[in-house]
Amino acid sequence: MQNSVIPNQVKPSFKEQMRKVFNKRTAPFWLLLPTFLYYAIFWLSPILISIKEVFTTLDGSFTLFGNFKFIWEQVSFLPALRNTAVFAAVSVILQFLIALTLAIMINRKFKGQKLILFLIMIPMAITPTAVAIVWKTGLISSGWINSLLQSLNFVDETIPFLGLRGLDAVMLIILIDTWTVMPSVLIILIAGLGNIPEETKEAAYIFGASKWRIIKDVTIPLLKPSIITAVILRMIAAVQVWAVVVMVMGFSNVPFLVERIAYYVGPLSGLTGANKLAYTYSFLTALIVFSVTLIYFKVSKRGTALDRGTQK
Amino acid sequence: MKKLSVLQKTIITLVMTTVLLAVIVPIMFFLANAFSNGTEIYEYPKTPIISFSVTVYVEYNELNNEYTVKYVNRRGEQQNAINSNSGLLLSNYFEQYFSVYKTGDELLEDFEIVKTEGPKEFTYAKNMFHNFKTFFYITSKAEEALVNSIVAVLFTILISLTLGSMCGYAIARFRFRGKDQISVFLLIVRMFPTVGISIPLAVILIRFNLFDTMLGLAILYSLPNIALTSWITSSIFVGINRELEEASLVFGANGFQTFMKITLPMALPAMAASSMYAFLTAWNDTISALILTNDHPTLALAVYQAIGDNTTNLQYAAAGSIILIIPALIFTFVVRKYVNQMWGSVSV
Repeated sequence: MQNSVIPNQVKPSFKEQMRKVFNKRTAPFWLLLPTFLYYAIFWLSPILISIKEVFTTLDGSFTLFGNFKFIWEQVSFLPALRNTAVFAAVSVILQFLIALTLAIMINRKFKGQKLILFLIMIPMAITPTAVAIVWKTGLISSGWINSLLQSLNFVDETIPFLGLRGLDAVMLIILIDTWTVMPSVLIILIAGLGNIPEETKEAAYIFGASKWRIIKDVTIPLLKPSIITAVILRMIAAVQVWAVVVMVMGFSNVPFLVERIAYYVGPLSGLTGANKLAYTYSFLTALIVFSVTLIYFKVSKRGTALDRGTQK
Repeated sequence: MKKLSVLQKTIITLVMTTVLLAVIVPIMFFLANAFSNGTEIYEYPKTPIISFSVTVYVEYNELNNEYTVKYVNRRGEQQNAINSNSGLLLSNYFEQYFSVYKTGDELLEDFEIVKTEGPKEFTYAKNMFHNFKTFFYITSKAEEALVNSIVAVLFTILISLTLGSMCGYAIARFRFRGKDQISVFLLIVRMFPTVGISIPLAVILIRFNLFDTMLGLAILYSLPNIALTSWITSSIFVGINRELEEASLVFGANGFQTFMKITLPMALPAMAASSMYAFLTAWNDTISALILTNDHPTLALAVYQAIGDNTTNLQYAAAGSIILIIPALIFTFVVRKYVNQMWGSVSV
């Protein structure tokens, strides 16, 4: 008998207690809590560890600039910084210009528009590792790029692409990168163009604006949020390029920031100081990306698509 | 709007053709390479068309009592291949350099006719899976790596969808203090480079005994994707009609039932889009896998390690990349429909 009585007495009070803890006011807290714990453990504490590592020496004592001085002394540091900067700037501008031209051309309806868009998007879906192999099979001296150039009579002798160093090699990697990521810029811009009401262009046309003026004074200003989003997202990804570089050019031949990290945790792992260098490089990379993100916040203010999404 | 002039049409056609060629030509050459046999891969100049068969020119040399086999390439030129009368040697050579799977007896039987009728050309079908088989054979742990990649992808999707959609729902449906700050925080997490997290995260994963496991990798991949998912889903949850949910509550469903039966199905496109991003992060990454695994690579890492700095035998690495590309390609284009739906209202 007791068994049936006790639950009846306990249940309501338990339910009430539960209601006190789980109600409309506390719901967001419970919904957000797991994510916050997750980020505290797996995001914040790694960052703290990384900061600690960057500001301590190998034997554990505090140093403000020691590791940065260490990284500065590496022969490959300045080239890595320069290559990454050149790569990020040139590739983003190049990809943006190509994507904008294509977006404006594709945006008007014509036969086969969907097919063309589909074909152009294929490189975007190819894994970076595979992209590197697609191009490596072309860049070796008996590869398909030399085959193509020679059968079209553009060159007489094979070009040793893989022997390129310095900025020439960076340009080569920019071209490969453009091949694979330009479609993702294109898609953002096309989506942005689709959101521009046709009436604005018609109005400008009725008032006698030329096509070029419509593009320059109506389309591009209205497209600004999409442009900012696309450029910043690309910039952040461009700073972190490495797999293509290593797979095509090999380690250390054309240094990049993240390529250096991979070098110190890969082939050089276990060597004294390698770990410190990796930490410092990753700290610097994170710092650069973070600054770009902040600039993005500043530039976009409330107007861009990304912000609109988060503010809703 | 005004129609385009002839000049403009010509320019557009020219630009489109150039772009399409720039996309398609590398892919065609790459496919031809991936299905090349050990002889074709060193041919120069290369052709952008996949070959399905191998032609050999066979002579009988009475003096040494052996067959002289010459490889006939697609332009009809002959190249010395092997001199032998041993079925085993011939068979091995045919497999390794021509991707032709024939037993020694079969080959000797075919070549017998040359003794009486003089030199002759033979055409054999290539085994198109030869490079794939060899890739798995020469790359240690390639099969395991394929399974690992799939496991890492599933974990990543699971973690980011569960946590991310909870977050997104909270942001979309409730008013509370600090909401704006949370949105900004999520955006920062999303933009933060995972490389910066990977190395110190290794320390933490070792403490949890998760180093060198796929769950450990998925934990890292989920970091940006939880934030991305919550952002995508919150903008969808905002758009879902609240009255529908209220109606469901009025008819006696509890909060959980309402969520499962009404809210969740309507948020499905957002879920699909988010899971696509989660898939691509986990499937495409190499740097974090390099840092956070030791003996259990993912497929992308295995392909990366297989090629290294090599410039020889690229056909096997190319075959490995095809295995890498196909799921990514299918996934991207299947889910694209949903993503396009999203891009209608939200741009990424």
